[in-house]
Amino acid sequence: MVALDNKSGIGFKAGIPFISTVILILLMQLHYKIPYINNIFPYFSLLAIYYWCIFKPNLMPMSAVFFLGLFQDILSGGPLGMTALCFILIRVFVIAQSGRFLEREFLFNWLVFIMVSIVYGFLNWAIASLYLKETQNLWNSLGQSLLTIAIFPFLSLMLSWVNKFLATENR
Amino acid sequence: MKELRYRFSTGFFIILSLALLIFGGNNTSLMGNIRSTTLDFFVSVFNVVSLPLEGADSFAQWMQRVAIVFSENERLRNENEQLKQAQIISSQLAIDNQRLKRLLNVGEGKINTIAAARVVSDSNSPFFKSVLINRGVNNGIKKGYAVINEDGIVGRIINAGYSSSRVLLATDMNSRIPVKLAATGINMILEGDNSPYPRLSFLPIGEEVAIGDLILTSGYGMIFPHDLPVGQVVEINDKDIRIKLSAKLYNLNYVSIVAYDVLQKLPDAFEGEVKEEAN
Repeated sequence: MVALDNKSGIGFKAGIPFISTVILILLMQLHYKIPYINNIFPYFSLLAIYYWCIFKPNLMPMSAVFFLGLFQDILSGGPLGMTALCFILIRVFVIAQSGRFLEREFLFNWLVFIMVSIVYGFLNWAIASLYLKETQNLWNSLGQSLLTIAIFPFLSLMLSWVNKFLATENR
Repeated sequence: MKELRYRFSTGFFIILSLALLIFGGNNTSLMGNIRSTTLDFFVSVFNVVSLPLEGADSFAQWMQRVAIVFSENERLRNENEQLKQAQIISSQLAIDNQRLKRLLNVGEGKINTIAAARVVSDSNSPFFKSVLINRGVNNGIKKGYAVINEDGIVGRIINAGYSSSRVLLATDMNSRIPVKLAATGINMILEGDNSPYPRLSFLPIGEEVAIGDLILTSGYGMIFPHDLPVGQVVEINDKDIRIKLSAKLYNLNYVSIVAYDVLQKLPDAFEGEVKEEAN
């Protein structure tokens, strides 16, 4: 299990990982007016959940992950519980492997994320296909996963700034 | 102990998610209310957050217009000439049409434009095609109302909150819209399948469709008024007929919400006959 940091040490800023994920979920729901983008829109929220579960797991507890998933389901109009379930499974995986992640550098995290993103896309596709009782286009999910993998360096860099800000506050 | 607590919370949230997934469909009124309340709160956030996007979009459009202003002016002049002639013909046809309808006692449907709304959010999912608009029950919108824009049909309202509503797009898997071929009047159903090009089904045996045929609403579903532009046939193969929608669903800005009421009152002449038969 992951050793828990002291939440009280950073006060109200303990909510920053949660808020940053909420912002990314809101950005995912904007109407971008680009043809076909909604079929391959990257999973910003998955990236944030993955990042915070590695670097600040105590600030991204299971309940927070569940509510973030539910929040995304409500905003996107998808079936309630779909994203929540996927997020929980991703958190379980990351926490189980966290000892290995924390020791490694960026490239290793990115390589693991490739697998996580593809599995997440497949999970989404499988649940949506079951829910709609018809096989959906797997290529769209794969496209979303690939685009998420492509933006991982940029978004994780931004999240690392936020993480550094949290760490400075913690000292 | 900590391990046990972790396992318990994991199991609890997984079961809760599965329960929501199985029992918390859109039909549950409690879930519908929770969705509406959350969306009502966040629609104002979307209104603000989408402003920079709106600005960028307007700027890009302005740049485009400036770049093609001379060629566009020339094209519009030519088009104006053609339209003037078409207007004369169409006004003659309109008079004829009105006269024939009066002769046949045709009962017309009544279209009420309930509200105009701005699209503030998109599901951005390959599996669920819907958008959020910034008008709701407070503006007279109800579940089931049709949503259109200047190009054609967009979808229908599936969830109405106080100040926001969710529109199921015509491309969504759960969308079914009664349509007809403009040229022959053959009725069919437009089925969304989450692809950008929805398919036409229930084409009667022996009837033919060609690429480029225009598709209009038939008005049979009592949701969409009849004769609204839907799209054009773009692909015909062994399995299905696909159409390209007239409305660009990826580029929605403002939409109109309309209610369609078919007049229940019988034409006066017919009503008189019924009364006589009753006596």
